[in-house]
Amino acid sequence: MSVQLTDPAELLAMRGRLRVFAQYDRDVRESADVVVVGSGPAGSVVAYELAAAGHDVILLEEGPPFTPREFALEGGLSMARTMRESGLRTTAGSIMPTMQAICLGGGSLVNSAICVRPPPTVFDAWSEMFELEHTTRAELDAHFDAVGEFLGIAPTPEDVLGKRNTLFRDGCDALGISSEPIARNVRGCKGTGECFTGCRNRAKQSMDISYIPEALRLGTRVFTSVQVQHILSEGTRVRGVEGQVVEPFTGKRSYKLHFDAQLVVLAAGCMATPVLLQKSGNLANRSDQVGRNLQFHPGIAVAGVFPEPIDVQFGATQGYQSLEFLERGFKLESLWAPPAVMAVRTPGFGHELLQHFSAIPRTAAWDAICSTHRSLGTVRARRGATLDPALRWHLHPDDAPLLREALHTLARLFFAAGAERILPGVARLSPVMHSADEARVLLTEAVQGRDLVTGGNHVFSTTRMHGRAEAGVVDEIGRCHDLDNLYIADTGIFPRCPSVNPMYTAMALARRQAHAISDRL
Amino acid sequence: MELAAAIFVVLLGLGLRRLLSGYPTTSRSYRHLRRREIALLRAATDAMFPARGAVPVAGADVDAPGYVDTWFDVLHPLRRFQIRLLLLLFEQVTLVFWAPGPRGWRRFSALSLQQRIEVLRGWYSSHWFARRLVFTALRSVLGIAYLGDPATMRFLRVAPYDFESPVLDADVLYPPIGQGPDAIVYGPEDRSPPSDGVPIDLDSPVHPDYAERPL
Repeated sequence: MSVQLTDPAELLAMRGRLRVFAQYDRDVRESADVVVVGSGPAGSVVAYELAAAGHDVILLEEGPPFTPREFALEGGLSMARTMRESGLRTTAGSIMPTMQAICLGGGSLVNSAICVRPPPTVFDAWSEMFELEHTTRAELDAHFDAVGEFLGIAPTPEDVLGKRNTLFRDGCDALGISSEPIARNVRGCKGTGECFTGCRNRAKQSMDISYIPEALRLGTRVFTSVQVQHILSEGTRVRGVEGQVVEPFTGKRSYKLHFDAQLVVLAAGCMATPVLLQKSGNLANRSDQVGRNLQFHPGIAVAGVFPEPIDVQFGATQGYQSLEFLERGFKLESLWAPPAVMAVRTPGFGHELLQHFSAIPRTAAWDAICSTHRSLGTVRARRGATLDPALRWHLHPDDAPLLREALHTLARLFFAAGAERILPGVARLSPVMHSADEARVLLTEAVQGRDLVTGGNHVFSTTRMHGRAEAGVVDEIGRCHDLDNLYIADTGIFPRCPSVNPMYTAMALARRQAHAISDRL
Repeated sequence: MELAAAIFVVLLGLGLRRLLSGYPTTSRSYRHLRRREIALLRAATDAMFPARGAVPVAGADVDAPGYVDTWFDVLHPLRRFQIRLLLLLFEQVTLVFWAPGPRGWRRFSALSLQQRIEVLRGWYSSHWFARRLVFTALRSVLGIAYLGDPATMRFLRVAPYDFESPVLDADVLYPPIGQGPDAIVYGPEDRSPPSDGVPIDLDSPVHPDYAERPL
């Protein structure tokens, strides 16, 4: 639902409920029924649903709101402005870049708007392994439907796919692999391929233009540039949160903020929520699971060079996918990102590097996200007043064959689609391969985990839900086992990686949680 | 003891001289970068993206220091520090890994073009994972600056299009970053219909920030 105001008085009231950095001139003390920490997809849904149910809600966000005038059109600068740690965060152990947004709307402002409903088998596995009786696809479908209708989630239209995406489809068709246009929370896409730097068409229904304005209209107060640093608790109840105003980009701290609440929902993201709990006296951690079980969907990408230009600038950022191999543990997608970002994995230097760059107008990139269930890690708080975590994660050797298979499948797709060469991005192997036969080496043990360039932007399980209090941090509706009125609503509660892009599932779970909270209040 | 102190002082002097002296002044001012960092960025970009390559924009034509200086404006302090360390490492790397040819121990930015290329090649093709990783970090910084340059983006046909953004309620609600509600550009009357979903014309002009400018 895209908001169109008709009443200027209502607009002024909405403006009055939004606080931005320049408006803070003293310490702040406020109270509400519910405080939601984090304005990403899950936090925004919770805030909106609770406001719609008539509750007094405060939504807190550390980053600022962005409008198209503030979008940096170039990839490097855009990442530095919209991502925590300037987009340069990596895991220790197996080194892998991972990102977390810091802006109103969270990751929805700068992601590809991919919305995939996991198949029932994913939830069946969750139910069985983590003793979650009610987290079935059938029970969540009503929430998926409601979110889908609100955000206009629909398959990417044919006329904005562009060649980058249709070539992916061609490759799948040639190999007899099923594929489909990706469903996205987008209305009116023009195919400008700017999802990662912010949609200047305002077509992507990111939270800042969808759920948050609606929540403001319903009375939610939104405080931006607020870093929550401590959860206030007493016995088995929380009383609110404390934090400080932070200046956009520099992170300089100033005024203190104190929010009293009957109930607190943490939606600060899978990498920040456990840090906040740890910094609040190791809260909600009788199970010793806070910050553990860190999982990713490590993504691997292959670039393929076609004989003719393919208008790379045009087309939905990620418009086509294949779920054919989901049961085996990976999902295939088409991909586009600003060249400056893609260049990080381009091999060579000097004339060789320029040769690769010169082929960008003929180059597509496709990726696979992998369900590496055995590869686990931890999130730990760093010293000082920061929610930036120390991440440690290891790619398990037994997960390496899965990555190899995904890599090889991508290579086959490219050659089936007519690519003349591929850049597999694997250290110690030839940087360029010219045939499917040559690419067979990608399946062999010549490819070790550390040779792969991976990226992990889907992050899970650091405050996982579990039916038993001693084995998980939250219960099935996201309430902390140890505390009566503290909830968690981000992907940290996923008991393990869901095999598909997580935003839609996080929003469906958040909606269910909001309804459960509303019933309690 | 006195001899040791004298040796220490001499070494310290030589170290400081190598670290700080002899860098050219720059005609423009930078908010963050120091002269040695500017020199390193220019020298490394020149070697990484040589002239007469497959992309007719040479590293020497790209304002890599300007890009990195702008980047530093919004870069996380810890990451800025790490990038600075990276630049320092490459500038002084010839203390350990000498460049081939005469006076290969000079600072990276003082080496000849061919020597700089050989130094980069040594890191790129090293058997040590850590060296390749550090090289990748440097190449990433320079690559982002190079590919973020308007001339490069125009040549590669990836410069952003120029078009008007629709004005939605959100645009009437959110002020420019760092400013208050008084600075909000749009009022309710400025709102426009949302995007119609008509695909962008591939012949659309590029955004003014990326358009070719007359000399």
